[in-house]
Formats: sequence, structure tokens, C-alpha cells
Amino acid sequence: MGHGKSPYLRYADPEPFPILNKHSHYDHLFEEMHELEEKGEILVFRITEENKPVEVFTRTGRIKTIPTAKLWHHKSCGQCGNIPGYPASIFWFMNKFGYDYLNEPHQTSCTAWNYHGSGTSNPVALAAVWLRNMHQAWKTGYYPLIHCGTSFGSYKETREQLIFNKELRDAVKPILKKLGRLTEDGRIVIPQEVVHYSEWVHAVRHKIKELYEKEGKAKGIDVSNVRVAIHNACHTWKMMADDYPYDPEVYNGQRPAASTAVVKALGAQVVDYSTWYDCCGFGFRHILTEREFTRSFAIQRKLKVIAEEIKADLIVTHDTGCTTTFEKNQWIGKAHGMYHPVAVMSDVMFAALACGAHPFKIVQLYWNCSNYEPLLEKMGITNWKELRKEWEDTVKHIAELEKQGKYDELMEFFKEYDLYEPYSKTSDGFKRRRSASADMPLFKS
Amino acid sequence: MEGHPYGYNIPISEKTKEVPWEEKVRVYEEVKSDFRFKEFLFGCLNCGVCTASCPSNRFFDYSPREIVQRFLEEDVEVIYDMMHEYIWACSQCFTCWIRCPFVNNPGGLVIIMREVAVRNAFEATKDLLKPYGRVLLKVMTTGNQLSADMLQPDFFPDWGPKMQDNMENIRAKRMAIPFDVGKSVKTAWEVSLETAIEMYTIWRETGIFEMLEKLDPNLYNVIMDIVEENEERWEELMEEEEEE
Repeated sequence: MGHGKSPYLRYADPEPFPILNKHSHYDHLFEEMHELEEKGEILVFRITEENKPVEVFTRTGRIKTIPTAKLWHHKSCGQCGNIPGYPASIFWFMNKFGYDYLNEPHQTSCTAWNYHGSGTSNPVALAAVWLRNMHQAWKTGYYPLIHCGTSFGSYKETREQLIFNKELRDAVKPILKKLGRLTEDGRIVIPQEVVHYSEWVHAVRHKIKELYEKEGKAKGIDVSNVRVAIHNACHTWKMMADDYPYDPEVYNGQRPAASTAVVKALGAQVVDYSTWYDCCGFGFRHILTEREFTRSFAIQRKLKVIAEEIKADLIVTHDTGCTTTFEKNQWIGKAHGMYHPVAVMSDVMFAALACGAHPFKIVQLYWNCSNYEPLLEKMGITNWKELRKEWEDTVKHIAELEKQGKYDELMEFFKEYDLYEPYSKTSDGFKRRRSASADMPLFKS
Repeated sequence: MEGHPYGYNIPISEKTKEVPWEEKVRVYEEVKSDFRFKEFLFGCLNCGVCTASCPSNRFFDYSPREIVQRFLEEDVEVIYDMMHEYIWACSQCFTCWIRCPFVNNPGGLVIIMREVAVRNAFEATKDLLKPYGRVLLKVMTTGNQLSADMLQPDFFPDWGPKMQDNMENIRAKRMAIPFDVGKSVKTAWEVSLETAIEMYTIWRETGIFEMLEKLDPNLYNVIMDIVEENEERWEELMEEEEEE
């Protein structure tokens, strides 16, 4: 059902689940966005059939369109730097589904972790960073998929501020012009929907289930006995709360649906616990410089509760900071007799494991400080020690080739080893390597 | 009587008391003039649901309800005092925002206050953000906030023995990450030089470098050395390309 004349605002009819707040400020946002588009002030980067869209509901019953293919990966610095199996699992699924995507070096972080942690930025800078990245995606023709929960929350907020504040648009436009990040006729590029990877996982959960049935089970993997505690990230569902999926299959639409829905689709046991709504204790600055707060909160409000109330085998997350907070702050609990070991990983990592991905090469569990080994055993991945040895031998091989300066051999090795063709070698028609200077890395490796 | 009759029971610091009233009003007005302020502050029932669900409230003397109440009462003195240490306890989780029946956003008010505190280079803010310098260095010079080389085990003994093992032979382990542009150690992914140059332009045009200079002059100098070096490299590349 349409509202007004904005093509970006549609509501489910009948309501898919009981809805408390039927009048969201998001109505105005999508109406205003369309008006700005019609006035020629902005260009809305639309989701098209090429993106194989899937429709989901938000908590107000709005229909949110999730693009599932031809995506531009807006990576997370925390994931790539600290949990590399997180993006690797996303890419692995996209390869399995045969989806085209682009993962390039012309992307910055959103810089919102820094802003929330230190206050050292401002809304104009945050908007310039966001619009710069969106323009880059638009230029390539690949629709942006945001990996990080904080980037997702911050970008949703920035979009609202831009749409409703002419002053902000006027302040950011000259900067974008200087960067060459406006359209040829001087418009800023705003995507139709801001989309988080967990929404993508949610949208393709039935395909993930099919893969699990076909390939995961063939490897002897069975997740039906795995007890899972879900932790939803604050910046996905509490920040700009009217723009995240809810579903009648997940607590009748009364709790965020992403992550829970995919775990349920796989047939694992989602087990409720009393502090499900609490944050993890990450705190942005706190995880680095006030660690006693982070670990106290994580242990006392989450890990202890999950261990005592539901004895979960696994905490499933969908953001960078929460994953890090929970898996890094377990061991220290021994100092106070509060050691509650439990495996921790994101929804997409757990799903990849269930579907038969290599636990170390793809899911990269070696970065994980939590007690993940019992989970692998319980899932039926009983050969994990051999797989770990296999991966360790790979690392030794790479180190040896580099030590001997055999770079050609190294490149040959990666051709077979990597998940997809290197960014600079593509045959999909988009000229990714523009010039030697444009692709020059910041650091020579 | 020390503290506030309605609940802010932290005594106003001597330093705050010594600051001229006009200066406190100036800072207060700077916070209020932010365009987001009117979008973050509405009425307040004093129900306390924000504070009851606030993670920071469990471990610090911090209450989002107090933030909202002090602004509604235009309590210039307390707001000024809060801006030195109090506000830095907030976890920025926005549980207060989703739960408030009036849709107040105390976490949003805090981020405005933090930004103003940094811009005014308050001494307490400088001290508080000192240990955070490594993140600022990384984000200002590369556009990435985190990279593998920032996770040295010596800094994180509390993360346990697996952390020590993980960081051994880090370069080869990073190369074993099975996707392109993800194999770098100094950045989260292999950022292009052009992208970093665009970031520097954004920092410059939006006054972020100026903020940094006031906050930590030494860090600012280190950052600017790297920025200028990369900008020179970029200019040389552009000149070479033009010649070709």
C-alpha cells in the first residue's frame, strides 16, 4: 500500500504483526527524500531488478527493500582488522549464490566509531564521508551493502539529518564538489535504502538454509542441538529504530528479526534470556581505554546471565564491536571466578560454518579468543584439528614464499586460494583499474 | 548544600566554580545552537526508564535522565561541569533513545556535548582522550579506524593467551585472508592513496584538523607530517601522469 506519492514509502496491508507505533517520522523522511529528488537537489540511487530485491518489514510495518545482488561492499574496519572471517564469510556466500559484487580499495571507514568514542568530528564531516562513499558506489553501479552496525546506524542518522536540514546539505555540497563527488549536474547521491549486511543475511536466509541442507549436512554437520543466545547490536536496532527488519516469525514482530530468523531457518535452537535487550559493553572508547567497564558489563550482564539461565553453546551477534567484546572478555573472568566460556561469532560466520565453510580459511576462527572448539564438535565438525593444521601449514607456506622473495609463486598461489578474482582483474565490463595512480595503495606491500 | 536538589549529586568542581559565568553561558549556547539539539530534546516525565536501562549507569555516576533534566532546566553550571568528565561515561548505545516515551535522545545530547568539549579543548577532555591517540592517528591518516597492527598483545594481556598466539606471524596470517584488498597489516583493508587524500580534504574542510591541533598539538604534528608526505606523493603521481 502506497503512502502519498513517494515510491520509497510502502506499507504492508494487512499489518504483518501487531504494530504499536504506526506513524513513524520515517514516513516524512521518504516523502521529503522524494520531493528533493523531484526538485533536482538529490539523486536517489535506486535499487533495481538487477539487485534481485527482497522485501522485508520494519517495526512500523513499512516495506523495506533489500538488494541481494550486484553489491558494493562497504567493509567494516573492525571486522577486516580484527575479525577477518566476518567479511570472508559474506563473500563466501555471495560466491556460492553466484552473485556479482565489488570489493575495492576506494572506500573509507564511516569514522563513526571515532566520533562516538572521542567526539573528534562533526555532522558535516560525517555527512561528507558518507556521501563520498555512496558516490563511489553509485559511480561503479554496485549498490552499497554496509558491513558494520555502527556505520549502518550512523549512515541512517546522517541521511535523516541531510534530508531534513538544508543547512547541512548546503555545508556539505561545496566539499563534495571539491572532491568531484557530485553528479555532473551538481546533485548529491543518496541511496534509496541504507542496508546492513545482517538484513542481507535475513533476506537470503532461505537460500542459506537450502545450502545447509545440501552441502552442510552432506559433510555431517548438524546444528539442531546447538543452543544459541542472540545478541542484537544497539546501533542496528536502537539507533534510527524504525529502519530495521521485524518479522512475524520472530517473537511475532516484537523483536528485531535479523540473525534470529537465520538461526531459526537453519534449525538451531534460539533460546531466550532475560538481558537480551542489553548492550554488550563495547562503549566505543571504553573497549580500548576503560576496559574494566567493558569487561565488567559484558561478564556480569551478558556472559554470566547467558551461562546461568540458558547454558548456550553460542552467542550469535551481527556487529563488529559486540563480537569483539564478548569473545575477548571471557578469559579475564577467571581472575574473579567468573569464567563463563561460550563460543561467539556473527550470524553469517555461524551460517557459513553450518553450510560447510572451512572454519579457519574462510571463517578464520583463529582470530577468536573464545572457546569455540566445543561448538565445532557439537556441530559435527569433528575434524577441526586437521583443518586447523591445514590452515597453519598454509600460513607457513605463505611465510616461506615471502621470506624467499618468491613473489610470482605467491601471486600464483593466491589465484587458486582467494575467494574471487582480484579486484584489478575483472571481466564484468566495469573498468575497475582506472590508472596506476588511482589504484596506488596508501601503503606499499 | 553540595550537589543538586533534584538528583545530580556530584559536587560542582572547584574548577567549574572558578570559570566566569559568561564563559559557561557561551559553552552552553554552543551546545544549544547545534542543529541536532532541537531534534534530541523534548519533554520529560522524569520516569527514569532511560537511566534504569543505561549500561553506564550500572558502573559509573552517570544518568541520562540527568542530562535531559539539566537541559530542560537550563542549568548552565551543571551542564558545564558535566562536560568535563561526566559525559564520557556514556556508552553511546542509545538504549535511552529507543526507550524514552518522549523520544528524547540523551545519547545524542551527549555526543553534541562531547564535540563541543573537544572543540573547546577542555583540559579534562585532553587527559581523557590521551590513551585514544592511536585510533585518532590511524583514522586521520588512513581513513580506517582499526588495523591488525594496533592489536599488539602487550596492550591486551586481559584478552588471554589465545590473543598472544593469534598475533604471531601476523603478516603471513593477514596474507592468508582469502579476499583481495583484505591482506594489509597497517590498514583494515588496502586503502587507495586517492581515497586517503579525499579524507584529508574532508578533515581540512570541516575543521577536524583544527580540533585536533587544539586537543593534542603533538599528535597533530605527527598526523600532519604523514598527511603532507602522502599529499606530496599524490601530487608527484599526478604530475607524472600528466607528463605521460
